[in-house]
Amino acid sequence: MEFNGDILTIDIGMSMEEVEEFQEFIRPRIDYIETIEADEDDALRCSALLALLVSLKRTKPELNIPFLEKKKLVSQKYGTIHWICHD
Amino acid sequence: MEPFIGYVMTKQEQVKAIFIEEAGEIIEKLDIDIIRFEENCSDFSLLNEIFRGVHTLKGNANAFGFTRLGEFVHHFEDVLDHYRSTQESIEEYNLELFVGSVDVIKEVMICELDAIDTLPQSYHACLEKIKNLISIKKGLSDSVVEQNESVSELKDLAMEFGVSCEEQQQNSIERSIKEAQAKQSEGLSVYKIDLTLDSDCYKRGFDYLLFLNLLAQKALLLESFFNMEGVVEIDSFKNDENYIGKVSVVVLIPLLRSEVDEFFEFLFDNEYEINLIAPPAAEIMEVADKPLANTAKVADSSSINSMSSKSTIRIDTFKLDELFDSVGELVIAQNFIAQNEKIRSIEDESISRTIETLSKITKKIQDRVMSLRMVAIKDTFDKMRRVVRDTSKKTGKELNLIVQGEDTEIDKTMIDSLSDPLIHIIRNAIDHGLESNADERKSAGKNIEGTITLKAFHKSGSIVISVSDDGRGINKEKVLAKAIDRGIVSGDENLSDSQIFALVMQPGFSTTESISDLSGRGVGLDVVRTSIEKLRGKIEIDSKEGEGTTISMILPLTLAIIDGMLVRTADEIYIIPTLSIVESFRPEKEIVNVFKEKGEFVSLRGQYIPIMRLSDVFNLNTKRIEPWEGILVCVETEGGRIAILVDELVSRQQVVIKTLGKTLAMLKEISGGAILGNGDIALILNVDELRPLVKTAHV
Repeated sequence: MEFNGDILTIDIGMSMEEVEEFQEFIRPRIDYIETIEADEDDALRCSALLALLVSLKRTKPELNIPFLEKKKLVSQKYGTIHWICHD
Repeated sequence: MEPFIGYVMTKQEQVKAIFIEEAGEIIEKLDIDIIRFEENCSDFSLLNEIFRGVHTLKGNANAFGFTRLGEFVHHFEDVLDHYRSTQESIEEYNLELFVGSVDVIKEVMICELDAIDTLPQSYHACLEKIKNLISIKKGLSDSVVEQNESVSELKDLAMEFGVSCEEQQQNSIERSIKEAQAKQSEGLSVYKIDLTLDSDCYKRGFDYLLFLNLLAQKALLLESFFNMEGVVEIDSFKNDENYIGKVSVVVLIPLLRSEVDEFFEFLFDNEYEINLIAPPAAEIMEVADKPLANTAKVADSSSINSMSSKSTIRIDTFKLDELFDSVGELVIAQNFIAQNEKIRSIEDESISRTIETLSKITKKIQDRVMSLRMVAIKDTFDKMRRVVRDTSKKTGKELNLIVQGEDTEIDKTMIDSLSDPLIHIIRNAIDHGLESNADERKSAGKNIEGTITLKAFHKSGSIVISVSDDGRGINKEKVLAKAIDRGIVSGDENLSDSQIFALVMQPGFSTTESISDLSGRGVGLDVVRTSIEKLRGKIEIDSKEGEGTTISMILPLTLAIIDGMLVRTADEIYIIPTLSIVESFRPEKEIVNVFKEKGEFVSLRGQYIPIMRLSDVFNLNTKRIEPWEGILVCVETEGGRIAILVDELVSRQQVVIKTLGKTLAMLKEISGGAILGNGDIALILNVDELRPLVKTAHV
């Protein structure tokens, strides 16, 4: 997880504990983070991260999360994952 | 006809009994469908449905020698067949004939079952009309058929438009299925798997991705659709809670159904559903001579052909009751384990976890068994359409019926007892609730058409069924004056609005000047109230003069379980039904009064409420405490409010009601018993029977 100005870069291969840390980190800072970039080198490890990103976007709709906007993730490990947010 | 105990029915009698049951269901459905059709007589799929019902009835009636019924439905079927095949619009007077025909079918059925020789008066007249109609209509069909071909083409076009957001999601899944089907070859199967993991799945070590990964290792194609609708905002977000409600997976995989099943063996049954998708239509055609072709009948490639189609079986309700009883015992045993001090004192994580799992599984079994007894109230509401229609015609009042919440489920055993009260309330609402005529409504600034709203919904663990009208409303002063006049109340009481409205349900109370054949005899609402109370429910009336009235029946979710407040008095535990409780409190010494020869009272917001000591009612040998040393549980009873004095409130919980033996059943103050988690037995109080004891206890 890297924080550079108003851009936060996260690794989508976070473990459950790391997702929890990420949540604790971002909760008080959500107001001044404008973009969350996702490093997709590793495979997604827990669906809670996906839910957390959706939650952040739902809380602050102007938050830019390019990874979420793609609405799908293709990987060898899980095939093609689509997410439907109903927003 | 119920077979008597010990009597064994012959095979033929058994078949006949099944016919009678089925015929009853068909007729009941006809009664509902015909009214729905009357409301929308362009719905020819519904007409087809009615036709199929009548057709089945005809075959069965003739097979069992019910020739009079058979002959009637035979001609009725001819008429229906004419309209459904020509799709000719049905004249209003003929619609009336259809509705009347269903009435005749109902009456003839009774004659056949009871072997009554005399047919109902309307039989011949109605049959004659049907025969005339057929003869008039014969020969007019052909040209109409041609016209309707173009109509059906237009309908097909209309279906291509109006795709909603949810349909788009469904379309994505269907697209994925088609792609998988296109790549399907021998030995490969396409499955659609719906995963709905519980909110605590992460704590149990499960994640959707885990299953995707397992499938991906064997799959040739894997696509999943995560529904994120349930994800909450960050303030409410808990990291260890799963908010992803459903994940649909489409997979092309060289595995049998049973092998796919193994991936999910550690999940609860309700957390996954596997559907084998049939091969595409073209492939079905190729293997048409193979036995498989018979099962893969559906050639519509746009639909998902689930192999796990729903099927139903008939089960004797007695067996269901037995099953429910057994589950009740299981819940008690599980509670016993969970609450056992010795087991709880063992500090072993695996034991705690096993008990937790056991508790979860038991709860699931209980919920599922409970759901077997639950049926949607829709059928009952549908029947009410007929009541509204007939009452509207009889009173000459134009009205709209609005039905809401018809999917609300209710205990099957309650459904049958609900129809009569509901019919009475609806008739009452139309007959007396709505204004007498259109002019009266106009002068009140309302639409000419009255509105009756029939609603079912859940509220605080109960089911509420309400009937509202937008009519005159209840005149409080008039009701109170009448009640005083009849000696129902003295006039000294400080009655709230709801208590005044409740007076109309007192025996013999009627405020109508004229008596109609629908209502107004002063016996109805009293009977309604009694019927609802027998179901352990209650009735509330809310009304605003000039705006309308709502009568709500508040019923427990089931008759087998009660939501109760556990109270302790003299080391005995009693259960007070939560539905009766108004409030509970420890009184100040100053508000407790003793009136000579009348007993103890608590003064609450200007009202004197009699205090009822449970220890007196049940002759419990205990030290007499003062009211301010204990807790007063204020309950609503038939005779007004009373305050039950108990030593302490223990807890609130749902308990499985057990019937008492003959000796205890004679105690009117007790309505049943329940086995608590620790194995103790607690008696459930019948609060309505406590009131008369107040005076005797303190004299």
